[in-house]
Amino acid sequence: MGSTENINIGDARFQGLLERFLRIRSAGDTAFDADRHLDEDTFAAFVEGNLTMREASPIVSHLAECGFCRHKTAELVRLDLAFAELELPASTSQTAPVRTSNVIEGILSRLFGTGDAAVMAHEEKPADERSSEDEKTERE
Amino acid sequence: MNEVLQQVFDVVTSELFERCRENAPNFGVTVERFQASLEKTTRKYLIDASAEPATEADLRAFIEMIQADDLFLALACADGNERAWWEFDHGNRSYMERVARHLAKTEADAEEVVDWVYGELYGTRVVDGERVSKFATYSGRGSMRGWLRTVIWHSLVDMHRASHDEVSLDEMTENVGEGAAQASFATAPAGGEDIMIEGITRDRYRKATVTSLANAFASLEAHERLLLMYYHVDNLKLREISRLVENEGSPLRGWFQRRSQSREKDPNAKIHESTVMRWLEKSYARVLQLFRDELKGPHGLSDAEIEICMGLATQDLAGGDIYRNLTGNA
Repeated sequence: MGSTENINIGDARFQGLLERFLRIRSAGDTAFDADRHLDEDTFAAFVEGNLTMREASPIVSHLAECGFCRHKTAELVRLDLAFAELELPASTSQTAPVRTSNVIEGILSRLFGTGDAAVMAHEEKPADERSSEDEKTERE
Repeated sequence: MNEVLQQVFDVVTSELFERCRENAPNFGVTVERFQASLEKTTRKYLIDASAEPATEADLRAFIEMIQADDLFLALACADGNERAWWEFDHGNRSYMERVARHLAKTEADAEEVVDWVYGELYGTRVVDGERVSKFATYSGRGSMRGWLRTVIWHSLVDMHRASHDEVSLDEMTENVGEGAAQASFATAPAGGEDIMIEGITRDRYRKATVTSLANAFASLEAHERLLLMYYHVDNLKLREISRLVENEGSPLRGWFQRRSQSREKDPNAKIHESTVMRWLEKSYARVLQLFRDELKGPHGLSDAEIEICMGLATQDLAGGDIYRNLTGNA
């Protein structure tokens, strides 16, 4: 048996039979089109139990039939549990960094290789306007 | 959304917006932007989720469950607000890195996936002159961190697929976890149940056993089927299932509690592993009863014959491969 915990159902033979049946059955329950699978947003909300009953009804029905999505949710539950104790509270600081644009520049630098390219990709305003905006940010 | 619901929606979301703006006055999100996002989500996941018209209570419950501050942050980041980006980076980067390290095989893979996700979040594609930010797909129905975990996990699977055109199920499982393996599993040939039945033409009892089991399982409600599948097929432990229903609003929890008179007295109590075990036991009891009813009714078997069926199934299990035995050993 795949599960390690023993459930008292009165007939262990039936438990073994059901488990084997379900495993075989699951080989055939993935015949859904890709566009019918749940999206990331729904996966996250389901795993956190953050859905209303009305909203969840079609999702639970889908998961009972779609091994692809169900397995993803199972993996995400494990991940959620693994990180439950590690999560740090999100920052509530209201103090702005010296140059907030550095954050985005840093991200794009890593993606594209150079800081200059990142700045060009990010900038949507002329340099003089940008400069005054940064000064304003610094004052805040 | 009818006129009454629209009015309720406008009032509730305006209040929500004010609260969010108070918490993050520099994010630059307008009330129109905030409400437009919520309206789109409400239509998609509440109004269109059922043929039954949504009530005012449904709408209020739905909006109440929205992680409004996280949504506010996501909208601001999608719009490129620098203050919001700094807040996001400050509050979530180390968490994302830890998730990536937990999931990825190597440190390099972890770094690569975090950079990739950051790029997607910022939006490296431009459509009709506008950046397409991944943040635009976040609706606020789950927490930002829960959503980020899912995005990182999916991105790792995609990265792994891109670098391994042909990879075995075992190898993928070993490298990036069971979930990635299941992603490939989606293309496996369908109809395992049918194949199972096809070979059992010579053995009445074995065939009766399998078809009765299939019908009994199909007769369960969706949440009962899901619970049994999680436990037996996806190998979720009781502790992991109890985590899934920890939130008081969890739909699975709601369905099982509706069946349980004792828990109705305290629906907010913490769900322990023993509770999940009781749910499983009840689901087993139901499917076992349905199974016996099937064997007695449509198949016309006596109690003694049902015992023969169970005995055969037990022998097959002892042989280690009930699938082969049930289908080909008759």
